[in-house]
Amino acid sequence: RGPAGPGMAAAAFERRVLRSAAEHHYLRVRLELPDGGARPNAAQFKQLVVTALRELHGEVGAALPVDVLTYEEKTLSAILRVISSGLVKLWSALTLLGFYQNRRCAFRVLQFCLFFLSPNQTSPFLLALSGNSRELVLD
Amino acid sequence: HAALSRRYVLCEVISEDPRCRQCIEDRVLGLAVRDAITRVHGDYGLACCSISFTVKYLNAYTGTVLLRCRKDSYRLLCSALPFVRHLESRGQRYPCSLNTLHVGGTIRTCQKFLIQYNRTQLLRLLQNCTNEEERQCIQKSLLSCSLTEEQSESGDEEDDDGTE
Repeated sequence: RGPAGPGMAAAAFERRVLRSAAEHHYLRVRLELPDGGARPNAAQFKQLVVTALRELHGEVGAALPVDVLTYEEKTLSAILRVISSGLVKLWSALTLLGFYQNRRCAFRVLQFCLFFLSPNQTSPFLLALSGNSRELVLD
Repeated sequence: HAALSRRYVLCEVISEDPRCRQCIEDRVLGLAVRDAITRVHGDYGLACCSISFTVKYLNAYTGTVLLRCRKDSYRLLCSALPFVRHLESRGQRYPCSLNTLHVGGTIRTCQKFLIQYNRTQLLRLLQNCTNEEERQCIQKSLLSCSLTEEQSESGDEEDDDGTE
C-alpha cells in the first residue's frame, strides 16, 4: 500500500523491480516555451531532444538510444527513457538547450528514477515514477 | 601534485591526390581535426579536446602528423580522426583520410616509433619497385643518407612520469 497524501485515500500500487534495473534510466521533463507560440508535436519533441544531444555531444550523442515514452502536448511534458550509460549526456544536453526553432526555450527535469512502474494489464494508468504522491493531480 | 599528462597521436595523411600534400600545414590540419571532433562529439567533445591541443609536428613529404592532447581526451580525439575526410586550404579541398599509427605518452616514444616505421616503409617501397630505374633511385637515396650530429634540444620534450 502506498503512502497517502492529506485527504486522499491510500493509493494502491505495485512495485516491480526489474532484475536488470540499471539498464535504463527515466526522466520526467517539461519543456518551457514562454513565447506562447505553436507547440511541438510528439515527433518534433523527439527531434528536439535528438538535436540537443547532437549539439552538445555530436553524432555519438545523437545516436544515443533515447525514447519518449509519453508526451503531453498540452503541458509539453514527457517521460524519457535512456540507456543508463547515457544519462549524463542526455541530462546535460537538455540542460544546455536554449532554442527551439529560434524560440527561447528551456528543459526542466522534474523527476529522475532508476526503474519504471510499468503500466501492467491490471492498472491502466501510469503512477508516479518515484512514488511522489504530491505530484498526483485529481481531475 | 597531479602530473599534467598528455598523449601524442601519430598519424599519416593518406590521399590519392598528390596536391593534397600542399594542404599539410598545422593550421589546416588543426581545423580539420577540430571540425571532425565537433561533428562526432559535439561542443563538449571539442571543448575537452581543445585543452592542450596542438599540431606538434608535420612532415608534408611523408604526410606524417603528430598531434598532442590531454590524456583524458585522447579517446575522443582518436575516435574522431577517421572522420576527417578532406583538407581545405586557400579555397581548395582535397579528399584524404588520417591513418593513426601510434599513440604515445611522450614525443620521444612517438619519434622512436616513427623512425622504425619509416625504416620498414622504405624497405617496402624498395620491394614494391616496379622497374629497375626506381630501384636504383631509392637505393642511391638510402645509401646517401647520413646522420648529422645536432645540438640536443632541451625543454622541448615533455616527459610523462607516469604518476597519476
